[in-house]
Amino acid sequence: MSNIIGVVNYGVAGNIHSICKALRKADANFLIVEEASQLESADKILLPGVGSFKDAIQELKNDRLLEGLISAIRVKPTLGICIGMQILSRIGFEFGETAGLGLIDAEVKPVICSGSVPHVGFNNIRLVKESPLLNGLDGEQFYFMHSYEVVNYTDIAALTTYCNHDFVSAISKGHIHGVQFHPEKSRDAGIELFKNFIEL
Amino acid sequence: MSLRVIAKLDVKPPFVVKPVHFEGLRKIGTPSDLALKYYQQGADEVMYVDIVASLYQREILYQYIEETANELFIPMGVGGGVRSVDDFSKLFHSGADKVLINTSVLQSDPSLIRDASSIFGAQSVVLNIEAKKWTDHWECYSDCGRIRSGRSVTDWVTEAVELGVGEIMLQSVDCDGRRRGFDIDLVASVTDRVSVPVIAASGAGSLQHILDVVKNGKPDAVAVASLLHYDIATIRDIKMFLIENGIEVSL
Repeated sequence: MSNIIGVVNYGVAGNIHSICKALRKADANFLIVEEASQLESADKILLPGVGSFKDAIQELKNDRLLEGLISAIRVKPTLGICIGMQILSRIGFEFGETAGLGLIDAEVKPVICSGSVPHVGFNNIRLVKESPLLNGLDGEQFYFMHSYEVVNYTDIAALTTYCNHDFVSAISKGHIHGVQFHPEKSRDAGIELFKNFIEL
Repeated sequence: MSLRVIAKLDVKPPFVVKPVHFEGLRKIGTPSDLALKYYQQGADEVMYVDIVASLYQREILYQYIEETANELFIPMGVGGGVRSVDDFSKLFHSGADKVLINTSVLQSDPSLIRDASSIFGAQSVVLNIEAKKWTDHWECYSDCGRIRSGRSVTDWVTEAVELGVGEIMLQSVDCDGRRRGFDIDLVASVTDRVSVPVIAASGAGSLQHILDVVKNGKPDAVAVASLLHYDIATIRDIKMFLIENGIEVSL
């Protein structure tokens, strides 16, 4: 069976260089998706992201990827990373109110706590439910770099504590997964996560 | 909160060099070899600063950045001669995860901070400060500690954070490369004023120096160069020492 990961490359802020490097390290088969027609050739979807919620959605619209992507994610195993996870939500509040892809019932709101924001650095994750994506990774440290967080009450896979503030660090809803951290920047634990994604 | 320990590479392509007071360069090795070494020692990030790009008014050399990023699975910040949103974009596509800016936004175009921050996110825009201490304040310098700006560090960081900077790296022209300790007052005066993460750089000559700035300056991260380059301590040595002294780090 083919197992090709379609890495969605959208917009000027799309930084897929390090994602591709990590996927190669994990021995993944992947292709870069830049237009909707290429989504058909992908068995799984990887949605990276650098930048703001609003820009990310706008770029997907500009690249005419939005509708095709939503249809693809409904049926294909998907991993969203950082903004790529956030935009799976219903709505985001970064630079005004923006509708997301609506695939997870969640909102994206600013991180509010006593620590510095953006939250930057390695923190560990605590699994709160079984998720094949996070198999063997309970308690591992991953690299975070974000000012906003996903607020959700139904599909939380892992939590992380930053300066006494708990936030959602991973989401799993059936075949749709999202991580707030950057596995491509998280040493060996990140490569293991990509291997889990390949195995899904 | 886990304190980050960052390896700082001052690069004069094709070599990492170590200036003293930003002058008198010594060749240490290639950026790709050293970045890999410090990654394997457990560094949380690498900061790659092309220290002559602004001075020579040339573009940063992307080839060396790609080579350096190649084997790293931790974030890398890159700076040197960055003047436009296009420069940011090219650096991200060469393997940078965040971009350091100093000269262009300090001397001519602070609006670049706002533009870059709205496109790439605040977390990827790092203000690089080269501070020099005068009797009652610190002044911002640029071009590797050569050009005065007349601007006070405390005013400039406040303005830059309002414009959208997501992190600040504090270098000290007085302390850099001397291995006599950090300018702790400088670090404390900035961490008191801003809510974004602050990286204390310049001056680590011993493990105790690092502990001192962490306890009294309250930075979110420390950047180390000479200690590592001269094999005085490894990243792991630094982290173990911090743990023994009650500071949380990631191993």
